[in-house]
Amino acid sequence: MTSERSVGAAPATRDTIELEVLSLLRARLRTPVTVEQDLFADGLITSMFAMELVVQLEEFFAVAIVGPDLKLANFRSVAAMADLVRRLRSGARAAGSDD
Amino acid sequence: MTDRLAGGSALLDALVGDRAGDWDVAGLLPVEVLRELGRRGLLCAQVPGSYGGAGLDSLANGELTAQAGSRCSSVRSVMTSQGMAAWTIQRLADEDQRREHLGALTGGRLAAVGLSEPDAGSDLGALETRIRPAGGDVVLSGHKTWVTAAYYADLLVVVGRLADGAAAVVVPADAPGVSLERVPYPLGCRAAGHAHVRLDGVRVPWSNVLGGSPQSLSLLVATALGYGRISVAWGCVGILRACLVATGEHAATRRQFGRPLAGHQLVGRHLADLLVAEQVATRACEHASRCWDSRSPDMVVATVLAKYVSATQAVRGAAAAVQVLASAGAEDGHVVARAYRDAKLMEIIEGSNEICQLMLAQHMVTASG
Repeated sequence: MTSERSVGAAPATRDTIELEVLSLLRARLRTPVTVEQDLFADGLITSMFAMELVVQLEEFFAVAIVGPDLKLANFRSVAAMADLVRRLRSGARAAGSDD
Repeated sequence: MTDRLAGGSALLDALVGDRAGDWDVAGLLPVEVLRELGRRGLLCAQVPGSYGGAGLDSLANGELTAQAGSRCSSVRSVMTSQGMAAWTIQRLADEDQRREHLGALTGGRLAAVGLSEPDAGSDLGALETRIRPAGGDVVLSGHKTWVTAAYYADLLVVVGRLADGAAAVVVPADAPGVSLERVPYPLGCRAAGHAHVRLDGVRVPWSNVLGGSPQSLSLLVATALGYGRISVAWGCVGILRACLVATGEHAATRRQFGRPLAGHQLVGRHLADLLVAEQVATRACEHASRCWDSRSPDMVVATVLAKYVSATQAVRGAAAAVQVLASAGAEDGHVVARAYRDAKLMEIIEGSNEICQLMLAQHMVTASG
């Protein structure tokens, strides 16, 4: 994996959703982050900031993050957020939701 | 939307009228007033029309909330509780649950949200209410304190621990094992039906667990409180508007030393400060609501800021109002006496001043606004 890759060095071959999430985060945080970095462990994301990300991802990617998808684990890393967006865009739902 | 807002304001005026003082002294709201507001969808007016709601945006609902707050902070508190319950359901529930519960909340049923506990006030991460799976059901045990509107509620949205996460569960208030003890003499919003709620092995179906699986406690709490905070903030605008009217009338008509009170410079300063307080709070709330309505991520911080600004301005403005009205307003039930007591509670609930300050400070150092 490319967990050590920095924001600025993300190559064009990366998934575009990950790149877009990276760029959203780069605009909000003062420090660069990597795709696999645990943002909670590093104290970069509070629950308040996670709520901002929910709104931002919903608006930017035209998805609704509700019900079982609204869990902190989905915001733990750029990769996790990109996975969530990718899944919501493909129309799949989280386990346990009959939405 | 403007028509709906106007209709809602008119109905609020008609139902509340000048009775708020009596309700405050009695410590009780007529439940039929709440049910009528509920049936019109006005207690949670941001619920979309597709779920039976009035479908107001945050700005229009804010104005409605301020209107309620200017008439009666106890009614406005019930509105905040119902709106928090509805918003929590809207965000956390699956589609079937949204249809069922939002339909109930816009059909005259009343709801309250149980968050605080004896050992978990500002520190909600310490909450101890347990939700245990039991076959096709879950069983809740715990103690919730200061649940606003619980005394009137048909449904309680209870937040507790489930597995290694948390969940919000819809509990019928008449379920076996639920018992209520009213807060006998609250400092403010005296008729809002605050109660301590005991859950002693309360069994409800799994289908009452919003979203059907464990969620993040911090996101769950942040979701519920986000709505609660902007609602309280607008409620404080209402408190200030009521103070503005009462104080303006009194200062213009009451004469001392041969001239109206407003003609005395030291009184004039109170009037100016009160006007500034109302305007500052209004602008902060409008900004936060516009962030909600434009789906801006700034809504989170703008909401905390609006709540903090409005509550502190309401406390100062209400104190100035009581000072100007003096003995004319120093009686329980009087609009400025209620404002004085109600506003102080608003500096405590849905995130105390200090918790808001901590969140704003943390925002400053972790994110580039």
